[in-house]
Amino acid sequence: MNTLWLLIVPIIGFLGSVLLAGSAKKYPAVMKSWALIVSLALIPLSVVAGPSIGAVITGPVVFGSSLLLGFTELSWYFVLMIVGITVLTIFFSVGALRSLTVFPLYYGWLFLKVMGMIAVVLSRDLLSFFIAWEMMSWATFFLMRQGGEKAHRASMGYLAYAVVAGMILLAGTLFVRNTLGTFSFTELSQRFGGADTGILVVALILMLLPMLIEAAVYPFHSWLPDSYASTETSITAYLASISTRMGIYALTVFLFSILGLQVVDRIGVSSHWNLRMVLLVLAALTAVLPTFTALFQHDAKQLITWHSIGQGGYMLLGLASASALGTAGGLFHIFNYLTYVALIIFSIAAVEYRTGTTNLNKLGGLITKQPVAFLGMLFGIIGLAGIPPMNGFVSKWLIYRSLILGGYPFIALCAFLATIGTILSVYKLIHNTFLGQLREEYEGIREVGFWMQAPIWILMVVVLVTGVFPGLILQWVARIQASLGLEVLAYNLGGVSPGEGNLNMIAVIILFLATFVAAWLLFLTGSRRRIVSQYDNYAGGHFLNKNVPYNFNYNFYSAFDHIFDKQYQRAPVKKIERNLGRFISTMADYTRRIFTGQINTYAAYGLLAVLVVLIVLREVL
Amino acid sequence: MNAGVGLIVWIILYPLVAFSLGVLLGGYGRKFTARVQRRVGPSWIQPFYDVIKLMGKRTNISHGYMHDVSIILLLGGTVMTLYFVPVPGYHFFGQFGDFIVVMYLILIPSLGMALGVGQTANPNGSIGISRALQMLAGYELTFMLAFIGLAMKHHTTSMYDVILAQQTGGIATWSIVTDPLLGIAALFALQGMLNEKPFEVIMAPHEIATGPMTEMGGKYLGMMFIQHLILLVMELTFFINLFLGGALNWFEYIIKLFAVFTVVLSVNAVYGRFRTDTALRFFWKLPLPLAALGVLGIQFLAK
Repeated sequence: MNTLWLLIVPIIGFLGSVLLAGSAKKYPAVMKSWALIVSLALIPLSVVAGPSIGAVITGPVVFGSSLLLGFTELSWYFVLMIVGITVLTIFFSVGALRSLTVFPLYYGWLFLKVMGMIAVVLSRDLLSFFIAWEMMSWATFFLMRQGGEKAHRASMGYLAYAVVAGMILLAGTLFVRNTLGTFSFTELSQRFGGADTGILVVALILMLLPMLIEAAVYPFHSWLPDSYASTETSITAYLASISTRMGIYALTVFLFSILGLQVVDRIGVSSHWNLRMVLLVLAALTAVLPTFTALFQHDAKQLITWHSIGQGGYMLLGLASASALGTAGGLFHIFNYLTYVALIIFSIAAVEYRTGTTNLNKLGGLITKQPVAFLGMLFGIIGLAGIPPMNGFVSKWLIYRSLILGGYPFIALCAFLATIGTILSVYKLIHNTFLGQLREEYEGIREVGFWMQAPIWILMVVVLVTGVFPGLILQWVARIQASLGLEVLAYNLGGVSPGEGNLNMIAVIILFLATFVAAWLLFLTGSRRRIVSQYDNYAGGHFLNKNVPYNFNYNFYSAFDHIFDKQYQRAPVKKIERNLGRFISTMADYTRRIFTGQINTYAAYGLLAVLVVLIVLREVL
Repeated sequence: MNAGVGLIVWIILYPLVAFSLGVLLGGYGRKFTARVQRRVGPSWIQPFYDVIKLMGKRTNISHGYMHDVSIILLLGGTVMTLYFVPVPGYHFFGQFGDFIVVMYLILIPSLGMALGVGQTANPNGSIGISRALQMLAGYELTFMLAFIGLAMKHHTTSMYDVILAQQTGGIATWSIVTDPLLGIAALFALQGMLNEKPFEVIMAPHEIATGPMTEMGGKYLGMMFIQHLILLVMELTFFINLFLGGALNWFEYIIKLFAVFTVVLSVNAVYGRFRTDTALRFFWKLPLPLAALGVLGIQFLAK
């Protein structure tokens, strides 16, 4: 069975890394080669997995129903994305990690994480889903801790959320088992239809909450930015691009495959105000609020991790709008997001590798020094902002159109607003890093090497090609839609079929190239230009030199700052979180006082316990 | 004439025609403002002389390759977007991209310019770009909401279909008559899109030395001028197509262009400049809620 190898190979990778961890400090090359070999072995395995779609492996029987592993169209889509990003991350890390002294188990946790994620997308019953989910969460936790004291502190925020999510998921799993009598997805999908509304609502809350937490949907998002941004930058790329999206995977499976659209639409007070509306509103908040929070960040990694929350909002918007256009947009956006966000963070990492900082107030003018990183970030931000011709635009277009025609004008407005916020913050990112005045201390730096450049080039090609020929990915998406029982999008190579709307990216790119060449010819008609130094600049009569900082990057969006500063400081979710934390630590303090450490107190407890038992026994007997 | 030949002629002529109209409108604008201020004003085709002069300059200063590419992207991107905008007798590319595509294509030139201005390493330029981007949250949002209203009403996102829907019953079916709230909101947004006072925060010559144009000279500035004139025509055409029922022939189209531009110029002539945050607050207080009311109206009347 091919699919089982997808689980076995990462485990072998994990065990190998653990064995090699001792020698990693002395011979990092051995560890890196091992990681490369294992990750490369995953590629053929994931590619040839296609024919096993539909096959189910039955495992041991637990609590009266057997553990099931199986492969679906959606699983395959995710497996390919997981494997792809893992290979690219490992490629990048070979160049980016100067030594493995600080991260002896970097690759170990990475492979464990891969295994957990693949197990999640393979599991076909709630119990194995829960087990895989927990493995994945723990691997994420350890992966996050690769980056010193700051990362350790930040990872605790994730841990708190992950443990709560895991417990709720366990409760939900057991609740569903007790009321509907099975763990299996296929059996559940038949039984949920006939279940009564009370059971449905409880099961829904218990199952949806952990998925919303993992997908970092507002207001359960606050664990993400700090914990992702504090780790080693290649891990940030990995976690931001695929890890959070497992929540979206779970939501897709739960909403469309297990519950089914009819059941989802039944839950609510009217045909308009139902569960989908709740999800749409949450998704709109997720898209808008974190995106505008990103504007105020001064650290490149923080900025982009806020976007990894916001972009999840778009996916949920698309999925919850439930039309052919919308679900295609949501599913397509998962892939697009993965490619451009990894591209942006790799570029940030390339800059960090040379300059040693990701602080946006301390960079600038690196475009001539690191042109490849600049191009990578440029392609990435065009995708992230959803501007043609990159792939992010196509999926966002599908989502906008679906929301407008579906009759959700204000939700659509939120989607547009979030895009404006995205454009603003990504321009700040690229401006403060690569444009403006070059600082004196960065005059000697140069481009990064092959291992770090290769993933950037590959992702640039992917982002552009899937933007110009979205049909390449939409054909997968359409198959997934069919397998989930959703309406299927009519697509063609350049966009959507004329019946679905007017979009053809091939025409757009041809026109783009033609007009670009025409404008270039016009540019050439003028007399030759001369490139001057950055100090040869208009400064209102002053002379510029190395000692004059002449740059605008601090407090870049001052008008927004002026308007929103108070709201930003207020941060209601953070406040609730802080108060809850304080409450729990107070309660824990009271609990702690039970354990006084004195033998006579414990003796008294014992006596009390015996007394209680005696009383209870007397009542019962 | 064969349809294919006609199309090729259109593709070659459309940018030139738009540029010529832009020159006339730009000249009219300067003359209009001058007369309001009791000056004689420059020639009617002064923008054309400006462009010729700038393109012929012998000294051209560049700050690097991004600076060069940005100016090419600026003009190329604008002309590309132009092809998706239907005018009387031409709507070929509309089938490959609807109004949402147009609204995002128009960001390519802006982004190109933003990157180029960034490389010129002049803080005045960066401030101008920062203001331009922030203003998107004001006028672009308002215009999009007005468009969402129309799209919901006619159940299409294509600009050409909206025009056709408005042309069914003469003036009575123009969006500005059927949905005046959306029309008024979009008119406010148009003022911001055209960067005219009181929303002229991007250039702000007395404050940030013309912002993005600070380090532009010679053919760079010349190409910016060309782009500006084409953009002027294009954005006025958005409003005409979406709210004034498009146009059945070129005579009607040109009349409408000048009429709408006169409204914009009149406001421009008598107002001072807002601060960026004031301009944003203004958009969120008046035009955006107006558009929201209009959309609510459409939503409830449809039921």
